[in-house]
Amino acid sequence: MGIQEVKRGGGVPEYPNTRKPDQAEGFQERLRQNMKYRGQGRGNITGTDVQKEKVKEKSGMGRIGAGPGIRVNSTALTDALQTVEVKHMSYGESDNVRIAVTEGYTLKGKIQAQEAQVYVEAKYEDGRLEAYQVDTKRVPEATEHAIERFALETIGELNKEEGK
Amino acid sequence: MEQRWNYLVEEYQSMLYRIAFSNMKNRADAEDAVQEAFLRYMKDEKPIQNKEHEKAWLIRTTIHICLDILKSGWYQRTVAWNESFVSATQNIYLPYQVKDDRTLEAVLQLPVHYRNPIYLFYYEDYTIHEIAGVLNEKEATIKTRLRRGREEVKKILTEGRP
Repeated sequence: MGIQEVKRGGGVPEYPNTRKPDQAEGFQERLRQNMKYRGQGRGNITGTDVQKEKVKEKSGMGRIGAGPGIRVNSTALTDALQTVEVKHMSYGESDNVRIAVTEGYTLKGKIQAQEAQVYVEAKYEDGRLEAYQVDTKRVPEATEHAIERFALETIGELNKEEGK
Repeated sequence: MEQRWNYLVEEYQSMLYRIAFSNMKNRADAEDAVQEAFLRYMKDEKPIQNKEHEKAWLIRTTIHICLDILKSGWYQRTVAWNESFVSATQNIYLPYQVKDDRTLEAVLQLPVHYRNPIYLFYYEDYTIHEIAGVLNEKEATIKTRLRRGREEVKKILTEGRP
């Protein structure tokens, strides 16, 4: 095994320039193309529309049902829904229970003394506990809001039991 | 002594049985595990601080007894008669109606380190803090297991295997 001889010629070796003339601004060109395609993907949204869309996403119902479990925060509250103090109600005390393992939350509902008012307690996978008071009279029937739908279901369960 | 025994049975039997059943998946072994937990509690001379401590002690002991039975050579050489969880729950009091049997069946198929936190969190309504206390783990560990366990449940439901 011999030691490889290193030729000390001195100076930086000259590498051949293999870049073709049309690739001269390759990175900049690709970046420009990407930006163009990204713009097309979002439809014909102008700058102001994009801003509006962002605002809607922050404050609107879009956040509910997204990610692990439902995400209801103060900005997603509706007219029929308001946050209240958590009562730490057990399953046994609840009129209706929804266990959503795959979405990462549980809901417990109890019909209040005032007719059409439902107390809903939500427990999330990250440990958060939140409680809401839902006025089911003000909830639109076709609502897609998870808490409102659950409140309507709770009232429906009671009606079903009374029907029996 | 008899009063104490009656109190324990009345207060915790249903809950402990469900927890034992989620681990053993058959009625006879679940009942044995719960009985053993009660006996150990009666024999144990350590002072119990409060009701929460008592409950946590019993749950922890029941889970440990189940795991010991599952690991025992005798158990591994025998074939258990697995029953559907739902058919078993028909004979015991459940404070709520299980609407989604498929998900519950999927939870029961999870490995033990995911199954117990998920079962306690969703079906027994325990908080992360309480589960951490019962299983002697950090809260962050329980949160991670809940998240990963949920992914496993989804996998079982969509692909049919853990």
